[in-house]
Amino acid sequence: MSTIKEYLTNDHRKCDEIFAKMEEGANNSLESAKELAEEFVADMERHFQMEERVMFLEFETKTGMTQGPTAMMRQEHTQMRALMQQLLEAIDAGNKEKFFGLSETLMILLQQHNMKEEQMLYTMAQQHLSAESDRIVEMMDSLIVE
Amino acid sequence: MELTGLSIDQAPPIAAPLRFFLTAPLFGVLAGVLILMSDASVLISRYSIDSIIVTHAITIGFFAFIMLGSLTQMLPVLASAKIVRVKGVTLVSYILLSVGLLCMILGLKFDIKLFITLAYLMLGSGFLILILSILYAIKGVSHFTATIRGMLASMIFALMIVLIGTVLLYEYSNNSISEYHYILANIHSAWAIFGFSGLLIIGVAFQVLPMFYVAPKFKQFCKRRVVFLISIGLVIWLFLNIYAEEYALYAKLWIVTFFWAFATTVWLKFNRRKRPISDVTVLYWRAASIFLTLGSFLWIFDEFFKHEYIVMVAILIGGGFILSIMIGMIYKIVPFLVWFHLNAMGYMSIPTINEMIDKDLAKIQFVIMMLSLVGFVFAFYMPKILMPSAVYFIISMLLLEYNILAPVFIYKNTKKREPDFDMSAFS
Repeated sequence: MSTIKEYLTNDHRKCDEIFAKMEEGANNSLESAKELAEEFVADMERHFQMEERVMFLEFETKTGMTQGPTAMMRQEHTQMRALMQQLLEAIDAGNKEKFFGLSETLMILLQQHNMKEEQMLYTMAQQHLSAESDRIVEMMDSLIVE
Repeated sequence: MELTGLSIDQAPPIAAPLRFFLTAPLFGVLAGVLILMSDASVLISRYSIDSIIVTHAITIGFFAFIMLGSLTQMLPVLASAKIVRVKGVTLVSYILLSVGLLCMILGLKFDIKLFITLAYLMLGSGFLILILSILYAIKGVSHFTATIRGMLASMIFALMIVLIGTVLLYEYSNNSISEYHYILANIHSAWAIFGFSGLLIIGVAFQVLPMFYVAPKFKQFCKRRVVFLISIGLVIWLFLNIYAEEYALYAKLWIVTFFWAFATTVWLKFNRRKRPISDVTVLYWRAASIFLTLGSFLWIFDEFFKHEYIVMVAILIGGGFILSIMIGMIYKIVPFLVWFHLNAMGYMSIPTINEMIDKDLAKIQFVIMMLSLVGFVFAFYMPKILMPSAVYFIISMLLLEYNILAPVFIYKNTKKREPDFDMSAFS
């Protein structure tokens, strides 16, 4: 079974792939990107919840740090959720200019967020939670999105 | 693991990098004005005083400002490394470097020894404070990626060129040009271009190209070995240059091979990128690849022509390659920083980063910059076009300043109103 770090990092890459496909679709027509955008938003939401409802909680319980990196990551999740909502609205409104403005912003926010998680938080989580790694990955894998 | 030193929330205040970014184009304007005040016949010699001051207005005032400013911002994100007392360190070094550079330009131009003395003291200490702080932050990194190795190697070369530069300037301050002066100057310039700037750009490209443009990743060989191999090449070149100059060409070939390969790789990666976006930053990366390729070959070619073309090499690599990448980078970083800081403060209804800078103006700025760079290259044969090229350069730098000020004004104006959302729950 993959480690927490591998599991969540791979999930980042999956989201990146769909994001790129969505932009490619939108370049042809916003209509054709609608489905991909919905898939992307759903995958992202699932990833956020795997972190917020499972991994972050385990990490916070283990280390006692509730105001540290996880709080910062939760805040950036909020920022991204707002942007994704606007992204879907831009598709519905057929506003291509707005869509690409938002997607560019989301892209950079997302990538620097991923980097912080992959370089630091996941490494820390793996160190603190190595004994429970399999159980946590399993819980994330079987999570039902709320 | 030390949990109190977490860098995730240790990004410097927005003013720290912005101060450097907003000042850089002004030194670019100054460099253009200095060219206008000079003469083609003087600038054709790399060791003339006018050439030295124009070069340093760009290399210190523009390149170093952008690179070091970006590093203060990128280290926490890319390396999870924090610079201790980042606010104070960046402010003090910014003041020392700005005033020190002005002293250097005035001191050399008008031969005022006191200014030259002040210049080497201020530039030396300004650079040392910032570079040593960055090196200290990198020292604490537990997980070394290819990008961080590039940054580390770059900062070690930066440290060396600052020390050499300080010695060179000291010699000007008391009229004691030693027999080693020109050898040192040669090492200083080659290490500055290929070591300090080149390695940093390559290291950052490993991360930025796949990330921002969803371009294919660099091969493991590139990421693991290239920074090391170039560094070794630069050190070997140093020894050959001092002890066996007739063989220095081989080390040059070694270094150039990797830079040419990098230029080609960047070009191909942009061809195969998955994102359909094509903005001014892509144009700058493309231009940088072309200029780097031409400059690398000319650096070798120059060896057979008694270094007649070295100024042209400097324009192609310094102006075409490094300058293009720096400008492309700040076009991405400045709007993002503004958006990110505002959004984190709870301002939700703000322009996206694409809307902060007028795209057409950015493209016009790019075209004028390219015209001026090509003009500078051909001025080598046609001195008449040097002055119009300098005017284009000044216009382009002013436009750049205007373009990156636009997001900063958005930041200032937005902060005057109440946030849309109370973010205090997260702090």
